[in-house]
Amino acid sequence: MVSKTEETQLNRLENQVDNGGGGAWEYLCLARKLKVRRPEKVLKYGLSILNDSKKRSALGPEEWTLYEQVAIAAMDCQCLDVAKDCIKVLRKKFPESKRVGRLEGMLLEAKGLWGEAEKAYSSLSEDNPLDQVIHKRRVAMAKAQGNISAAIEWLNKYLEIFMADHDAWRELAEIYVSLQMYKQAAFCYEELILSQPTVPLYHLAYADVLYTLGGLENLQTAKKYYASTIDLTGGKNTRALLGICLCTSAIGQVSKGRNKEDKESPELQSLAAKALEKDYKERADDKHGLLTCVLRSLKI
Amino acid sequence: MAEDLVLDTAIRDWVLIPLSVVMVLIGVLRYFVSKLMRSFQVPDPKIVKEGQVIVRARNLRAAANFIPPKSFRSRRVYFSNEENGLLFVPKGQAQNAQAQMFSDPNMAMDMMKKNLSMIIPQTLTFAWVNFFFSGFVAAKIPFPLTQRFRSMLQNGIDLSTVDVSYVSSRSWYFLNLFGLRGLFSLILGEENATDDTQRMMQMSGFGFDPSKSLSAEKDGLDIVQHEWALHNSQLCFSRADVGFHKQGKEASLAPSNVPQQVQASGLDSIGPRNETSFANTYAYAMLI
Repeated sequence: MVSKTEETQLNRLENQVDNGGGGAWEYLCLARKLKVRRPEKVLKYGLSILNDSKKRSALGPEEWTLYEQVAIAAMDCQCLDVAKDCIKVLRKKFPESKRVGRLEGMLLEAKGLWGEAEKAYSSLSEDNPLDQVIHKRRVAMAKAQGNISAAIEWLNKYLEIFMADHDAWRELAEIYVSLQMYKQAAFCYEELILSQPTVPLYHLAYADVLYTLGGLENLQTAKKYYASTIDLTGGKNTRALLGICLCTSAIGQVSKGRNKEDKESPELQSLAAKALEKDYKERADDKHGLLTCVLRSLKI
Repeated sequence: MAEDLVLDTAIRDWVLIPLSVVMVLIGVLRYFVSKLMRSFQVPDPKIVKEGQVIVRARNLRAAANFIPPKSFRSRRVYFSNEENGLLFVPKGQAQNAQAQMFSDPNMAMDMMKKNLSMIIPQTLTFAWVNFFFSGFVAAKIPFPLTQRFRSMLQNGIDLSTVDVSYVSSRSWYFLNLFGLRGLFSLILGEENATDDTQRMMQMSGFGFDPSKSLSAEKDGLDIVQHEWALHNSQLCFSRADVGFHKQGKEASLAPSNVPQQVQASGLDSIGPRNETSFANTYAYAMLI
């Protein structure tokens, strides 16, 4: 997850380079450090540096990391000949390197030759069973081929060893949600909340999953997590506000027969409704009518 | 006797400065040699996994109050139950770690190499200093010292009446040994092999003992009392919301990137993200 300041810095550099103001190398370094995915820009500016032999020699040993970065960006943009050239140069320089082997596997993947890519990856992972990137590539390959269950299997195997990798947990959670396996998705989101408790995204997603699971207990928990999301974002999250309204009315429906425990629920819902109305009036006035209809129907 | 001895400036030119220069050069040489001799150590999968388990258990302990009590309890059982809990190390295995460290040839070789690269230059330089630079007063320490330091600092000087502040070149050697660490981190960058003092401290406390840290984490986890922070989150919400009302205009900033950043792929079943397709949410709300 990229922090706000880093993102603004990256955008500023991007604008600067776009308007011809130099600084391409810093932009590329920052993109590499933050691991953001901007393939077209990286490809354009990376190639402009690499094709200019003066700039290239000015880089020194960093030249090879730039080749790797440009190769990956080229594969992302499907410019496979550019990628192949870069990899060839790297292979000439580092003939026995596993990193270059990985890149060649990725090129096979980009071309769609799944069988050969799988073979390349398995031979690489035999030599180096703890290489995280190769594991992740395998998962990505299974996902790209549409074989979601294999992707889940690989991802679980990866997480058995590297269980502190929160990106992997996030990926797993999204796959589970796409397969509607909500209980497992809830577990993954709990892991994410444990590792990064102050990121409101995870609270929100967890609340969504709990709400979808349904059942009185889950709905109450979901309401609490929507509330914590609002707390963490200072009241600006429209989705969480809507979530609260929906949860309250769903709880009301589920516990219709039993004795209702009122607590502060009506107050909470009215607060959320008021906040929503204010938000809509300011930002999307034409949809305000829709909002009032919905809120009215929810207050059953 | 507290008289001032006048020290020849030739001492400064021919003893203090050359000694420092030599030590810096030897340090740089050691750095490059260690870079050449660095062998690629294949990380043991078991150790990696244990490291990750510890991180995960630590996260669980730290953020335990953010997940519902039932899931916390199930995770705690998962980690510390008797049969196959991740953190549970049966007594027999606990002792093996140290013995294993000695018998594992690669690790022993590595440790020996590191120790050698530290011990040999130190010994040689010390012998050189003793041979060439002994028997005279090299410097004066600016603050007064007690008599106890005499044996340490005035080794070559056999006069017992000389003030303890006047030291021999051996003490200058030791001063350089510990003081040049900062200089090396400036010239050679952060990671350099000349961190002798750090290594000496590491040698006394024996390296990575996974079983001990695992049982430490297990104990910590057993102690944790779960108190659900979100129990009162609704109160916090109403407080935050009141603030929201007050803010008015400021709240209409660009929708905090929060909704957009979550990948659109998976969660479509619950309802779309942006308010423009509000109608769908409305339809969905009617269904429940």
